[in-house]
Amino acid sequence: MTAINGGGMSGFLTRYGAAIAGLLVFAGFALASPVFLTAGNMAVVFKETAFLGILAIGFTLALTTAEIDLSVAEVASLAAVVTGALVHGGQAPWVAICAGLAVGTACGAANGIAVTVLRVPSLIATLGTAAIAKGLGFMLTQGVAFVGRWPSSFTGLARGSTMGLPNLVWWLGGVGLAAWVLVKWTRLGAHLVATGEADEAARLAGIRTLSMKRLALTLAGACAGLTAVLLASSLSSAAPGMANDHFLYAIAAVLLGMCMFEPGRPNIPGTIFAALTLKVLGNGLVLLGAEYYWQDIVLGAIILASVALSAAGMGRAPFVKKLNFRTGK
Amino acid sequence: MALLALRGIGMRYGAVQALTGIDLDVTEGEVLALCGDNGAGKSSLVKILSGAQAPSEGTLTLDGDATRFRGPQDALRRGVATIYQDLAVAPRLSIWQNVFLGSELTRPPFGLLDKRRMAEASRGYLARLAVTIADMDTPVERLSGGQRQAVAICRALRWDARIIIMDEPTAALGVKETAQVLDLIRRLHAEGRTVILVSHAMGDVVAVAQRVVVLKGGRKVADRPVQDSSGTLEAAELAQIIIRGAASGIPLDPFLKNRLI
Repeated sequence: MTAINGGGMSGFLTRYGAAIAGLLVFAGFALASPVFLTAGNMAVVFKETAFLGILAIGFTLALTTAEIDLSVAEVASLAAVVTGALVHGGQAPWVAICAGLAVGTACGAANGIAVTVLRVPSLIATLGTAAIAKGLGFMLTQGVAFVGRWPSSFTGLARGSTMGLPNLVWWLGGVGLAAWVLVKWTRLGAHLVATGEADEAARLAGIRTLSMKRLALTLAGACAGLTAVLLASSLSSAAPGMANDHFLYAIAAVLLGMCMFEPGRPNIPGTIFAALTLKVLGNGLVLLGAEYYWQDIVLGAIILASVALSAAGMGRAPFVKKLNFRTGK
Repeated sequence: MALLALRGIGMRYGAVQALTGIDLDVTEGEVLALCGDNGAGKSSLVKILSGAQAPSEGTLTLDGDATRFRGPQDALRRGVATIYQDLAVAPRLSIWQNVFLGSELTRPPFGLLDKRRMAEASRGYLARLAVTIADMDTPVERLSGGQRQAVAICRALRWDARIIIMDEPTAALGVKETAQVLDLIRRLHAEGRTVILVSHAMGDVVAVAQRVVVLKGGRKVADRPVQDSSGTLEAAELAQIIIRGAASGIPLDPFLKNRLI
């Protein structure tokens, strides 16, 4: 227990150890590969980090209320094909963008209702939503991708730069800042955290815990919708299942993020920094000539190690108890 | 006039009659102990007092007005705070987060949390209970059991509760921490607040309460001052009332007496 919030060297390492490891990985690749630090490669890493980061921020918000959302990636894929279909069909970009955001938000709201009204555990409910979203995505597209020269008013969302920084980095910064202010500085955020930390005590103190869970899951869906719009905009294409590669990455980012800054707790800065670390790792491995499948293996190892590393803190995290991640403690 | 009065309170759960015909007057400023063995009906009565449950029969009057609590939050707003044994605090949240749980302070212009003011106010509430803790950001799980109870009481003070119901506040505590909690109760009493202490610990009850109400089988079997003309109620005698439903005058089995007190 003392190791978590304790002072001294061990306290410092628990807080910042994983983040420092991330920086070491970065430095290692910078030394090992001449390409790694080039502007072009860094732009790729940051763009990838933005998609992953926004998706994982949604996941983090759900986890803040001790609910887990396994549907974020499939929901993002569905929202992306809806957006893509509309742009491709010649609809005004704003219509397509709103539709993509709406699909994500609606899926999140559906998760919220399944969990709080139908009382299906989120682990199961979001798995169901994921399957439905996947099926709908293929139904809408018949498995075919939308690719084309889309209007620059749409592709400009994610492409290009503003004030020297890629637009995607601005998106991640904006969403990250908004989510951080929400969780750390608003009453609503305090209620989200209290719901996740001590459901029953929060309810007895007058916090509407079920509404908080619904809200968090809805926001997770909205983040998935935004990720989808940005993905479609950036790639100028949409295909069923296009966001699925982000699924394991998002889980890993949130769990690794829980080893950073606020050990044992889902937190926004941790999630963003972990997303960057993971994308640096994936990119560096490719540059060093590792086969693609190594990314999955490393990702799996990171998921296991993050939970084990912050075990002392995680063991007490309410959602861990709920999922029975750690037993016999 | 009684601050809170119950008349003919009954509680049924299906076929089970948990409470029958409870009449109870809670006087402003007193420490009232609610005793009884497991299954005597204490929890049912606490749920009714705290607003967590509506009684099947009977009436409740607060300040002379017939009333019906719509939930714990409603009771809290009307000055009746309940500190539940296990659910009083969120362990990983800080002291100020716990004190202001569900009623956080914000400041203009953006309506963001006013953490400094909440921390300072929490420190003030703790000082009123003669508890000093250096850092208001400390997670409550790192406090002693007595300090944790103090934090829970501070939340009641934050609502300016007139009646504070404490459900087995010393059940999980050691000797020193128990003494600390009893001291907290004395300080609430000195502030003029009404405390309803639900407890198994007969020594604690006779040490801080002015009046004892005993339940058995869902009925009130005793309602007497701790101190009366014949002297102070002894823990042994209280144990006897709890077990037998009345002070029979027959001394308790010494074996039982030793186990109980």
